[in-house]
Amino acid sequence: MSGYAELVAATNYSFLRGASHPSEMVAQAWALGMSGVGIADRNSVAGVVRAHMAWRDLGGLGSGFRLIVGARLVFADGTPDIVAYPATRLGWGRLTRLLTLGNRRATKGDCKLKLRDLLAHSDDLLLIVMAQTLPDRALLERLQKARGDAVWLGATMPRGGGDARRLAALQEISAETGVPLLATNDALYARPDARALHDVVTCIRTGTTVQAAGKLVLANAERHLKTPAEMARLFRACPHAVAASGDLLARIEFTLDDLKYEYPHEPVPSGWEPQAWLEHLVMEAARTRYPEGLPDEWVRKIDEEFALIRSRSYAYYFLTVHDIVRHARSLDPPILCQGRGSAANSVVCYLLGITSVDPVANKLLFSRFLSENRHEPPDIDVDFEHERREEVMQYIYRRYTRRRAGIAATVIHYRPRSTIREVGKALGLTEDVTARIASTIWGSWGGDVPEKRAAEAGFDPDNPEIARLRTLVDQLLEFPRHLSQHVGGFVLTEGRLDEMVPIHNGAMPDRTFIEWDKDDIDALGLMKVDVLALGMLTCIRKSFDLLRRHGLGDYALHSVPREDPETYAMLRRGESIGTFQVESRAQINMLPRMKPRELYDLVMQVAIVRPGPIQGGMVHPYLRRRNGEEAVEFPSPSKPHDPNELHEVLGRTLGVPLFQEQAMKLAITAAGFTPAQADGLRRAMATFRHNGTMPRYEADMVDGMVGRGYPRDFAERCFSQIKGFGEYGFPESHAQAFAWLAYVSAWLKCRHPAVFTCALLNSQPMGFYAPAQLVRDARDNGVEVRAADVGSSEWNSSLEPAKGGRFALRLGLRQIDGFREDWAKRIVAGRARSPLRSIEDMARRAALPPAALRKLADADACGTLGLARRDALWEARRTPSGELPLFAFADAAELAQEPDAELPTMPLAEEVVTDYQTVRLSLKGHPMQFLRAKLAREGVLSCKEIGAAPDGLKVRAAGVVLIRQRPGKGNAVFITIEDETGIVNALLWARDMEHQRRAVMASRLMLIEGEIQRSKEGVVHLMADTIIDRSAMLALLSASDEMTPPIARADEVSRPKSVRPPDPRHHHPRNVRILPRSRDFH
Amino acid sequence: MTLADARARCPQLIAHEHDEPADRHWLERLTRAYFRFSPAVTQLPPDGIAIDITGGGHLFGGEQGLADLAQDQMAARGMTVRVACANTPEGAQALARYAHWPAPDERGAIQALPVVALNLGEEATRGLQRAGLKTVGAVAARPMATIAARFGIEAVRAIERLTGDESAPIASLMPRQALRFERRFAEPVAHRESVAVTLAELLHEAASSLEERRLGGRRFGIELHRSDGAVHRLEIATSAPTRDSALVLRLFAERIGALADPLDPGFGYDSMVLTVLRAEPLDPVQTSIPGATDGMIDDARALAELVDRLSTRLGPDAVRRLVPRDSHIPEQAQFALPAIERGAPAPWPADTPDGPPSRPLFLFDPPQGLHDVMSEVPDGPPRRFTWRRKLHHVRLYEGPERIAGEWWRRKGGELAGQGGLTRDYYRVEDVRGRRYWIFRHGLYEETDGPRWYVHGLFA
Repeated sequence: MSGYAELVAATNYSFLRGASHPSEMVAQAWALGMSGVGIADRNSVAGVVRAHMAWRDLGGLGSGFRLIVGARLVFADGTPDIVAYPATRLGWGRLTRLLTLGNRRATKGDCKLKLRDLLAHSDDLLLIVMAQTLPDRALLERLQKARGDAVWLGATMPRGGGDARRLAALQEISAETGVPLLATNDALYARPDARALHDVVTCIRTGTTVQAAGKLVLANAERHLKTPAEMARLFRACPHAVAASGDLLARIEFTLDDLKYEYPHEPVPSGWEPQAWLEHLVMEAARTRYPEGLPDEWVRKIDEEFALIRSRSYAYYFLTVHDIVRHARSLDPPILCQGRGSAANSVVCYLLGITSVDPVANKLLFSRFLSENRHEPPDIDVDFEHERREEVMQYIYRRYTRRRAGIAATVIHYRPRSTIREVGKALGLTEDVTARIASTIWGSWGGDVPEKRAAEAGFDPDNPEIARLRTLVDQLLEFPRHLSQHVGGFVLTEGRLDEMVPIHNGAMPDRTFIEWDKDDIDALGLMKVDVLALGMLTCIRKSFDLLRRHGLGDYALHSVPREDPETYAMLRRGESIGTFQVESRAQINMLPRMKPRELYDLVMQVAIVRPGPIQGGMVHPYLRRRNGEEAVEFPSPSKPHDPNELHEVLGRTLGVPLFQEQAMKLAITAAGFTPAQADGLRRAMATFRHNGTMPRYEADMVDGMVGRGYPRDFAERCFSQIKGFGEYGFPESHAQAFAWLAYVSAWLKCRHPAVFTCALLNSQPMGFYAPAQLVRDARDNGVEVRAADVGSSEWNSSLEPAKGGRFALRLGLRQIDGFREDWAKRIVAGRARSPLRSIEDMARRAALPPAALRKLADADACGTLGLARRDALWEARRTPSGELPLFAFADAAELAQEPDAELPTMPLAEEVVTDYQTVRLSLKGHPMQFLRAKLAREGVLSCKEIGAAPDGLKVRAAGVVLIRQRPGKGNAVFITIEDETGIVNALLWARDMEHQRRAVMASRLMLIEGEIQRSKEGVVHLMADTIIDRSAMLALLSASDEMTPPIARADEVSRPKSVRPPDPRHHHPRNVRILPRSRDFH
Repeated sequence: MTLADARARCPQLIAHEHDEPADRHWLERLTRAYFRFSPAVTQLPPDGIAIDITGGGHLFGGEQGLADLAQDQMAARGMTVRVACANTPEGAQALARYAHWPAPDERGAIQALPVVALNLGEEATRGLQRAGLKTVGAVAARPMATIAARFGIEAVRAIERLTGDESAPIASLMPRQALRFERRFAEPVAHRESVAVTLAELLHEAASSLEERRLGGRRFGIELHRSDGAVHRLEIATSAPTRDSALVLRLFAERIGALADPLDPGFGYDSMVLTVLRAEPLDPVQTSIPGATDGMIDDARALAELVDRLSTRLGPDAVRRLVPRDSHIPEQAQFALPAIERGAPAPWPADTPDGPPSRPLFLFDPPQGLHDVMSEVPDGPPRRFTWRRKLHHVRLYEGPERIAGEWWRRKGGELAGQGGLTRDYYRVEDVRGRRYWIFRHGLYEETDGPRWYVHGLFA
């Protein structure tokens, strides 16, 4: 091999040191005509898979261009940096074990290596010594002794003034020791243009500004990839150093494709072949479910799936997932779980109990998503109850041991807000300025920082300082920032995991995670099992427990009565507060339009109210077609193509692509993509914002469709829809699983509202709404709710028999702000023998500290003791803590009787306010009712009156603020207010927002002036034009206490973090659960 | 409210860190302004001042007149102030914070105060409010034993202090003694030696005062009050804190000697004042034993003394010291700062250990242009050049050392190709053995026909 290859190239996975993406490095090296490139990041191989993918895109081995991957070892013992490349698969294992050793020795994010570690792990590693000053001969000799002729001495020409002198000295050392020189440019970025960016990241790393950085930043822009000709010219005094890169390259046979993955063998009993064991298990289950014999369709599908699983040897995978699920179910009490993901549509998964959605009845096609063309392992995510997932994770560690199980990494990328702040700081802008610019990115997500943002903050976008900030922020966005651990993606191997990939210590003790993330794992075909936490499963399990305990039925996830008409009727009325997935405001508005009647309607409902379909403009066409206002038609291709080909793809969704799979299928069917191309499209969709391959696919797809005779505008619309998916698309398989949980939760809410609310309250925090709203909803649905009380409440909320064989909901002591579980437990134990008599009695029996007594009294939970709030408090305050030994025997009252304090009685308004302060909800009344007379005089209508008002009426409404959201592109703000009669949903256009921003953001009690807009389905919105902050009125309610109404968990003002949009490339199911982005539909 | 909340409401918000020491310092200064009303004045952090006006109110026109004066005094400093008078400092403070003053009935006004005026902390205040006891009067009307059982004896005491049943004197903030030494003469002194002797005596006094306080003076001032009322003021500064009266005396002598307009004692001086204008901590040190030599310390001291003397004589700007600055740009890699302000010389960054010096000892400011330069593209050294109308042939060279421009100082410098010209520096030796530091301003791909300069000469 001739020519030159840059073998010491760092990428931005050398965090805050490299300034180019791995793909850029590879592409630029190739473009410059090098014979290869070596990617070596600082004590890490986190970026090499991305480089490998870029190399594959160039054609891999067939391109004649070589990629070698390794790491730059930076030592803690003063040894100069050594770049190590594995020559073989064995060498790779040594390298990853070496890095694991260093990682595990250090705290999170660091790696402590010593030279002797390298010497102990140096088999099949090729080493390049990178010396800052002239290297120590003894070091070279030691390395040579260990590795023979696999050691090189890196020589650079950094333009430091004394380059020639240094090169001569290196040549002398090389001649003396026999270690050959290797020419390199020690590259930190692909092109010289990246100098400014590199200086900025250096400043971020060292916490300084470019003005003050001095010699911390490099003197020049020379550390980029240089052409082979230029390198030959620079090293003309030493041509063999340039040629040495070819020698090294020729000795490496390892590529990441050599990482042959082997599934763990645990789940298969000895004497069984995995495939046979899987078939055995499935057929056993089938026989139990269908004792009379399997229907034909089932037999056919099972055979199809078995064949596919056999051909791709996926039996181990299904067995591993089954093993984990089986374990969770075998615990006492069992952990509720449900699988989803592409492979979860299979009959195999259904029969093994991994999923509860019947794939045959729901016409799900397994093979469609697990095609033989996609060389990726199947994907099953399993959701577990959020409070008990840890047990499952510890089981995995126990069963597969830490050597063979590890959690995947999540690469944390630079996000607009943090990037603006950090770059601004490095450029020496004041905190004020950057904070002001950053603050304008409110709840929205953009690939770059639009000019408008800067202008919004009152900055001239043409101002050179601001322009500079923008340019650099744009460049730094999407850079990896650090590695973090994925919430539940496990990688399991049969052999040692640390010979596959380096392992790091997690932030939590007892957690270890590997250096690669989900995409890397997919790209290399490793197996990942997602063990995820889902709050709704906890709630459903608690509901089932309550039903069983109170004799209301014995249910499991799959045995809930299907297709209950009353449940769908409730959903059609838009009553879905507390349910899974369909409870957000956007979903509630959608329900009366979708009019769901069967599970598949919910599947579509879950998928349609999300940014992909919304940005793609699919929602309204779909609704029109569904309501029969628009003909369902499928554009046809010209002959000789099958005119009904689109019917096949889009038939179920009335010709509108709603699911990610449909988008891919569309590309294959209508644009003639090969499956591999479609797969490339899918990957480009996921990452299109940073590698710019999307335009290429756009041309391919639009031209492909036009070429087959589709109208161009239709083709373009299809593509824009696919682009929307790329960001937040939702595969049908996930929608199916979620829809089922949505149905189960809706069924519970409809049939057993007290049980459901009780379980929801006991699973907090979760979901969209605060307890106040859940309780109010339950009361609206006829559930009797009883206040927390020391005489009957437990820690959790519970059910009590009520009139007519119904159940009343007793709030638990956990609702009291700041109350502790052990206090509650002691109260329950204390009152077991006989009822509590007084506060002093309770304090003694439950050994409660004064703080606990005060909280109970404050929360008006001492009703059973015959004490109103004030009297209880007065009494609690004088009760000493604990038990005085002198009185313990006598069990006599210790405190002298006091004359009745005759405290003034508390007015009802103050009772309500105090309730809100201590329990965050009040059963006694609503704060607005005390202000009603005053507001009515101002012409303010109640929420109920607004709901009944005719379209177009100008009205004034007032209420406490429940939620403020500014979703999606941010051109509207949604506000929900509440009063004693109900809620009003208001919409304020962003253009009307800025001049009344303070009122919008700060109001706790808001007065809204606007116009009624009533849709034909009867959905009422208040189109706001003026927002008035009337929070001061809340002070009228109580002379002493500020009223702080509880705001929903989804409010973007009070809880801006919870709406952080999911990173599309790590489309993380946990975020899917919270569904932040789905709230933005209108 | 969190800052993020506030920003969401008002994006234009400018936030400053709370500077608590500065607030305290300011309150202390404000407090001192009230010594004119009473010797018993104290500050009540974070934002209150208490004045004991017992027996002194009539001097300022009664309570109302005093309140007006106090308000005027603060207004002059741009502060608004709420004033109240009461029988106890706590009562006055509570009235000032939570009520209007003057109130016709002081006792009634205090009874009507909200319970928060009791200053019992948030938890106890809330407890009283929740119990429906919302005014000081409502609490005070309860049996004190019930209050003590629930809110502690402190609460009872707070009520009594507020209602005037108990009172504690305030601890005054007395002014501190300044380092000021004065000598009044029985007869006006005109003789220069007598002045010098007196100054020496004052300096000895000052030195012992400084030593007691473990301080050393950095700036000293003298005032010479002439019998006809004229006052001469002189100041000297030293580069390090000192108590060495001989040194200070010498510096004063230098200062006087350097005056353009010599001191004219006229009919003599009445009095003389020495003030230590700035002092810094200085621990006592063992002065060297006569005869023993401690070269290093002596050298450093001798240098410091020289700097002090020259600076005193020639002015601080005239004596400068080079201080290294962290920059790649050669002409910005050092500052020349007044030596007297810099203290001891800072260590200079070392050159490469066994290589030749990378920077010349002498730099031209600005660099001097070269002509007729012959060099190789793209990065060859000058083969020959004309400088000061003389042609030089280069025999040996080393380089280039490439130093890129500071992109952050240029408009749009972060964009590709806009970062400013890069310099390639060469150390060259001409055929006659002279060594120059020469640079080409700009790479060939950055500019057409880059210019060459000589930036410095090697020794």
